[in-house]
Amino acid sequence: MKAAAVPTVFIVDDDGGVRRAVQDLVESVGLRAECFATGQEFLNKKRTSDPSCLVLDVRLPQMSGLDFQRNLADLGMQIPIIFITAHGDIPMSVRALKSGAVEFLTKPFRDQDLLDAIQQALQRDRAAREQQGEVHDLHGRYLALTARERAVMGLVVAGMLNKQIGSELGISEATVKIHRANVMQKMQAGSLIELVRIADKLKPGLR
Amino acid sequence: MSDNITIAPAEGANRPSVKQRIEYMGVVNDMAERKRIDEETQALARKLEESNARLEEAQRVAHVGHWEWDLETQEVVWSDETYRIFGLKPQERPMDLAGVREMVHPDDRESLFESVDADLSAGTYPVAEFRIVRPSGEVRTMHAITSKRWSAPPVDSTSEASERARKLFGTVQDITESKRVEAERQALSRDLQESNARLEQAQRLVHMGYYEWNLITGRVTWSAELYRIYGLSPQDGPIDMALVSEMIHPEDRERVFRESDQAIRSGVPAAAEHRIIRPDGEVRTVHGLGTVKRDAAGLASEMFGTVQDITDRKRAEQALRESQFYLSEGERLAHMGSWAFNDSGHYWSDELYKICGLDPKNGAPTVEQYLALVHPQDRSSIAESIKLMLEEHRGFDQIERIIRPDGQLRYLRAVSVPVVELGVFKGFIGTTMDVTEQELLTQELRREQAYLAEAQSLTHIGSWAANFLTGQNYHVSDEVYRLHGFEPAQGPLALERFWKTIHPEDEPLVRAVLTNAIHARIDYEIREFRICLPDGTIRFLRTIGHRNPAGEMGDYIGITMDITERKRAEAERDRLRQIEADLARVNRVNLMGELAAALAHEIKQPITASVTSANALLRWLAHDPPDLDRARAAASRIEEDANRAANVIDSLRSFYRTGTPTQRQVINVREIIEQMSSLLRGEADRHAITIRSEVQSDTPNILANPVQLQQVFMNLMLNAIEAMKDIGGTLTIRSRMDSENRLFVSISDTGVGLPTGYAEQIFEPFHTTKPQGTGMGLTITRSIVEAYGGRVWANANQGMGATFHFTLPCEADAAV
Repeated sequence: MKAAAVPTVFIVDDDGGVRRAVQDLVESVGLRAECFATGQEFLNKKRTSDPSCLVLDVRLPQMSGLDFQRNLADLGMQIPIIFITAHGDIPMSVRALKSGAVEFLTKPFRDQDLLDAIQQALQRDRAAREQQGEVHDLHGRYLALTARERAVMGLVVAGMLNKQIGSELGISEATVKIHRANVMQKMQAGSLIELVRIADKLKPGLR
Repeated sequence: MSDNITIAPAEGANRPSVKQRIEYMGVVNDMAERKRIDEETQALARKLEESNARLEEAQRVAHVGHWEWDLETQEVVWSDETYRIFGLKPQERPMDLAGVREMVHPDDRESLFESVDADLSAGTYPVAEFRIVRPSGEVRTMHAITSKRWSAPPVDSTSEASERARKLFGTVQDITESKRVEAERQALSRDLQESNARLEQAQRLVHMGYYEWNLITGRVTWSAELYRIYGLSPQDGPIDMALVSEMIHPEDRERVFRESDQAIRSGVPAAAEHRIIRPDGEVRTVHGLGTVKRDAAGLASEMFGTVQDITDRKRAEQALRESQFYLSEGERLAHMGSWAFNDSGHYWSDELYKICGLDPKNGAPTVEQYLALVHPQDRSSIAESIKLMLEEHRGFDQIERIIRPDGQLRYLRAVSVPVVELGVFKGFIGTTMDVTEQELLTQELRREQAYLAEAQSLTHIGSWAANFLTGQNYHVSDEVYRLHGFEPAQGPLALERFWKTIHPEDEPLVRAVLTNAIHARIDYEIREFRICLPDGTIRFLRTIGHRNPAGEMGDYIGITMDITERKRAEAERDRLRQIEADLARVNRVNLMGELAAALAHEIKQPITASVTSANALLRWLAHDPPDLDRARAAASRIEEDANRAANVIDSLRSFYRTGTPTQRQVINVREIIEQMSSLLRGEADRHAITIRSEVQSDTPNILANPVQLQQVFMNLMLNAIEAMKDIGGTLTIRSRMDSENRLFVSISDTGVGLPTGYAEQIFEPFHTTKPQGTGMGLTITRSIVEAYGGRVWANANQGMGATFHFTLPCEADAAV
């Protein structure tokens, strides 16, 4: 965990007054805040690796907040979202939360509610980022394996015995044992169970 | 001593047929004192002899004899005349009952003596009429009267009833002659009566009576018929000339008397036709004839004459004259000519020449000449008719057209009838009538009927005339048949057939209305009733009936019309109206929701901003040390946002007032246009729409509420974008000063354009073409513009799309 990272709260709202007020509130608790009138403006912004979250107005001039949320997901951008709206209803909030929103607040909201949600969102972002960092590390280790070692690793985590693996790959059991030892070492796995867990984390990347 | 002479009346002697009368007859009976007065007796005897002789003579003259009949000895004593009556010589032989009996006609014998016996037993005096047969064989008729009966001498006074008749005395008269005369008289009288009766009857039949006028006494005698002619009764009593004069019609009176005076003077029979006035006032015409009778001295003594009632004859004559006049006049008026065609030739009446336009001087035309007159199209059929007439003696009745020599077309109706006498064909007679006017009228009528039928068929209105009580149809137009689902070609139908088509649920109503109208004698109208057609369809009819005041009870004429389509249209219109009402209501509900939502959103934004800023402010103050700069900034934002919220509310309120302009300020139109263009550019880009603005340099500033003006631009521009959102295009905003120094702004699009005919309606509240629209945008726009004294309108572009325009008074005007 990098202690130096300053979390940033992005605010997208078409109403300038609301925008500025939320920014001020966020800054009053020592967080950084950046404002955008439209979703597009936000997308144009280069993101840092610092933890961040998005306070998003549901009603936007061009595209609704909910549609924007889906857009972000499609683009692979993972950022926790807190919805604020002047006229929200239950179906809308349900849909937003199902799509991964952290909170759905109706205007005018209590400041503490918003700040709590922001904290929760930043926490979630932090965790996501950590996880993303570990996978990145494991992926590097994985890339160090030879093609044979990767094949052996795949069959080992699938639960096959050395003998079976040798038969599968057309190599001797002794050779399998050598590859298996290399895999354990390169992947920094202390046990078979650990290797299986690493494989699980890598799985999306392996697809 | 009393006088014992008894004089008995001779009953039955006073007979009218006997000229000489016998008053009394009697005999002198025995006298007790003969001795005492011998001389007297002798004188009396002489007198008796004389008397007897006179009696004898009288009897002879009167053919009356007397007789005595001793009932005990049956001896009969006859007088001389009695012998003569019986055809014997006087006292030729003594008589007895047997002798008398012998001479009575055998047929009367039994009855005579039976009646005498009956009278004697009854104590009455026998009277009898009977025939005798004289020795010569001659039959005579006798009349015998018993005038006296003697009983036994009255020795002592015993009652007369106990007396028994001893001797009868009586007379016998030969009544043969008088019987014959009487019979003749009766026959004569009967003949006279009969002849009188016949005369009477004849008089009555010919209404002729007679009179006798005694010129000397002035007495007038009338026959019974004459009384009747004068309207009187024979029982009314005698007539005198004053009365006769009075009864003659005053206008004729003088003439009648003048003529009768002349007749009396000249002896020439008088004859006069004159009028009389009956007592009941009736005027009759009579014909009188009179002849004058003169006495030996040549003086006029009596006028005898007849009077005949000729009223009826006069009337008949008058009627005949009139009918002849009417006939000839009628023919002339009717344009009817007549003709005859027989062996003796060919006759045409003058009128016929006139009808055909020919000159009578040239005589009747030949068949060929006549056919030449006939219209070419009718010629062959007429030729055929004439041929049939001549060859088969067949009559005809036809309409033919002729063309007169002067070129006029006339329609003639020609009728011909063969004349056959005693089975022998004699020729033809005929009439020809000019029916041009009728024919043209008929043709006109047919055309009118055709037009009417066509009109009825087009409008589905049929006409009819009927009597609802008798069920008789006078007239039913074809359309009525069709309305009730019948074929006009199938021929007349009974009224009941029409009734049966009425829907069972409506029939009682229809009947009730009709029954009421008939009995109240009023018109009626049934606005709507249903009929069922054979194929099961229901049709709505309306019918109006007007009572025919000239007709009988129940006579109505009227029309029936099909209102099915109208009913359907009404139902459709009702349905559309309902949908419109529903839509308006839904729209209003939606609008309220939208307005509420819009209001909430618009107000929540500044409120959220203020609340959040307030929270931030508190947090800046809570910093250690408090960040007063940030807190101050937050406080000023709170004020700003709170004011913004108030503005929103004010703006919204102003929309719903009738646009009372508040918070006006000088507005640079160019700036507003730029603001709005930039504001909406994003939206325009999304739909591939380019926004262009052409702001002329003379565009004036105006005095207005900026929020309201923004609203106007926003609405019109969003509207334009909406019109192009699927196809893209260009939104052009133009502004300038118009000829009246007003701001003139137009906002054009190249979109779908205006719905035809909706240029004005689009400004109406709730009018929208958008699925999500409230229909209030343009309404609000207009109310704002008009609140400033401006005007807003729209028109379709030459090419694509529409242009919205508005004008607003410029700053200088508004400031005034």
